[in-house]
Amino acid sequence: MKLQRLTIEIEADPTPIAMILAATLRRSARDPKRATRMRKARGNVALKSTVDQQAATIRFNKGIVRVVSGVSKDVHVTIAADVNKMSDESPPKPQVHGAAAHVRLALLAAKVLDAPHGTWQEEARVFLAPVLEMPGAPRGVRVVCTDDESECVFGDLSAVDYQIFGSQHCLINIFCGNTVFGQDLLDGRVTAVGTLSHLATMTGRSIAVMLGAS
Amino acid sequence: MNANSTNEWLTDNRIRWVKTEGVSIDGLVIGKYIGTKKFLDALPDGNAIADLVVGYDIGGTPYLAWWDEWRRDALGDIHQQPDLDTLVISSDRPSTANVLCDFTDLDGKPLPACARSTLKSVVQQLGDLGLVAQAAFEVEGMLFQPSPRSSRAAKYRGLAPMSHPVHLGYLHYNSRHMMAFMDILLERLDGLGIPVEGWHDEAGPGQFEINLDPADPVTACDYVVRLKQAAKETALDLGHTITFMAKPSEEYGNGLHVHHSLRRDGRPVFYATDGGELSETTRHWIGGMMATMPAATSLFAPNINSFRRMVEFAAAPTVASWAQDNKSTALRVLSRSPNSARIENRISGGDANPYLVLAGVLAGGIAGLQHHIEAPEALTVSGWGLPPGWPHLPNSITQAADAMSSDTLLHAVLGTSFCDYWVNTRRWEWLMYHTTGGDATASAVTQWELDRYFELV
Repeated sequence: MKLQRLTIEIEADPTPIAMILAATLRRSARDPKRATRMRKARGNVALKSTVDQQAATIRFNKGIVRVVSGVSKDVHVTIAADVNKMSDESPPKPQVHGAAAHVRLALLAAKVLDAPHGTWQEEARVFLAPVLEMPGAPRGVRVVCTDDESECVFGDLSAVDYQIFGSQHCLINIFCGNTVFGQDLLDGRVTAVGTLSHLATMTGRSIAVMLGAS
Repeated sequence: MNANSTNEWLTDNRIRWVKTEGVSIDGLVIGKYIGTKKFLDALPDGNAIADLVVGYDIGGTPYLAWWDEWRRDALGDIHQQPDLDTLVISSDRPSTANVLCDFTDLDGKPLPACARSTLKSVVQQLGDLGLVAQAAFEVEGMLFQPSPRSSRAAKYRGLAPMSHPVHLGYLHYNSRHMMAFMDILLERLDGLGIPVEGWHDEAGPGQFEINLDPADPVTACDYVVRLKQAAKETALDLGHTITFMAKPSEEYGNGLHVHHSLRRDGRPVFYATDGGELSETTRHWIGGMMATMPAATSLFAPNINSFRRMVEFAAAPTVASWAQDNKSTALRVLSRSPNSARIENRISGGDANPYLVLAGVLAGGIAGLQHHIEAPEALTVSGWGLPPGWPHLPNSITQAADAMSSDTLLHAVLGTSFCDYWVNTRRWEWLMYHTTGGDATASAVTQWELDRYFELV
């Protein structure tokens, strides 16, 4: 049987939350099982922030997934969550409306919004590769996982200009684009040794990844 | 003025303090009050100031998502290099002198984040083409009865305007409401040497328009900066609130129209001599401004709120267009008199940085001359209410930033360092709006916009 194509689209001039959702769905689509479920799905799911005005709707329509800003009038399932804490180790439980009538759609949304990821080392490699090419970027970046003191150096091993320390959970969140590096540093979730210019470069990359840059 | 004559001038005028006036990328007046000895000691480089003044947004959040190559590796100082020709006695504080400054690095090199220096560079390029520009701004603002404290408590909504609420402009009954404020402001502007051509009330709530005399481009912008600052200070002194926000409510917004003319060898370039035909230079100048208009809109409409003003039939243009004496177009060409032949750009909002507005206007024209860009057909209909397919201007901060990012003509004149910095700051502003309380679906002015822009821009 020929598999239906899966296309993930985003509205023109999108909002950050729409871009973030589209990026998450694209990451999810790398997993064949999730991709298959998305291909088959029909229905509209909204994600609505409980702490600010951000909201977006995912429209599943037989292989075409479109993300638009705001809560569409024809949503079947609405997930209301604290968007700033969704990536916490123990995030507050979101409120889900419409799940009883649209169980499969609600389960699909939960599944695809929790995109799979690699090890922190794998994600760090993908995250840092473009950074190391940027003008003024650190020549070498040392990342230390504070859970088990495992570490990796990316780029020039003999010229480590920047060092990041964090738990596996925090590192994966940063390198997958679930959280913003500078904010995590500000909030004390990770620590770092390096210059402000490198911090800004890393944070810029972090925001870009969050918004869908590869 | 040099250091010696400055010393004499400060002494003769019994000046004790110098107020340094730098202008941030967002158009905010930034500086210090410095004792005269310190001011003189620091010449010609000027006083040091934290480089964060070019490193944070209008809400006070540091830009920490990129690092421009011209920034130092850590937080440090830059200089406010005073333009001693702008030294003037403060009109309301006789022992204080005001001086406009450029932001420079520690070696005295202008920073790409310095809007005034960016304009100077564009004017220099114009001079290299044998052209001399003059410019004059129309500054619109709105004055409200309550004090800033009361306005903040009311969240800037429902403020009693200093006018009758009817949507009429040029109504002397309305201008009388703000006469006490204007008397003081105009006296202060006289004291600062800012030549006011005239003023009148406008159709928005508490709205006024002040027309300034033409001057060379940098001076014309200096006038705007000092006028807006003097107006804010006068309102503050009198216990009123003033705003230059592009669209503070659903009524008419505030514009910052700019007229400019060109002369070559003393002759007016835009004057259409025979039968009203525009010269080749004028056509190319217009062609360049039209070609760069989507990108330059980012400079003319710099904030989230700016785009709420650019709606149909609300006095601001919505399509990239030009015509002879048509106020619904983006460019209004007035070419029939040798003494007043000029082009008015009607896009920019009251919240725009005047140096960047004029830099964008002139850079577009320069690009047109350099690349012989022919002007498109002039618009012969109303510029409002046109269907899809017409060249609508960008209608969001991101669309405008994207246009600026991909435009090569403006980059060549304004400089890539400036353009990159500018685009990054606008995308940052978009991110701040959406992630710190703005509402993407709001069709009306949001609280986030009022809190961020009402008093400051």
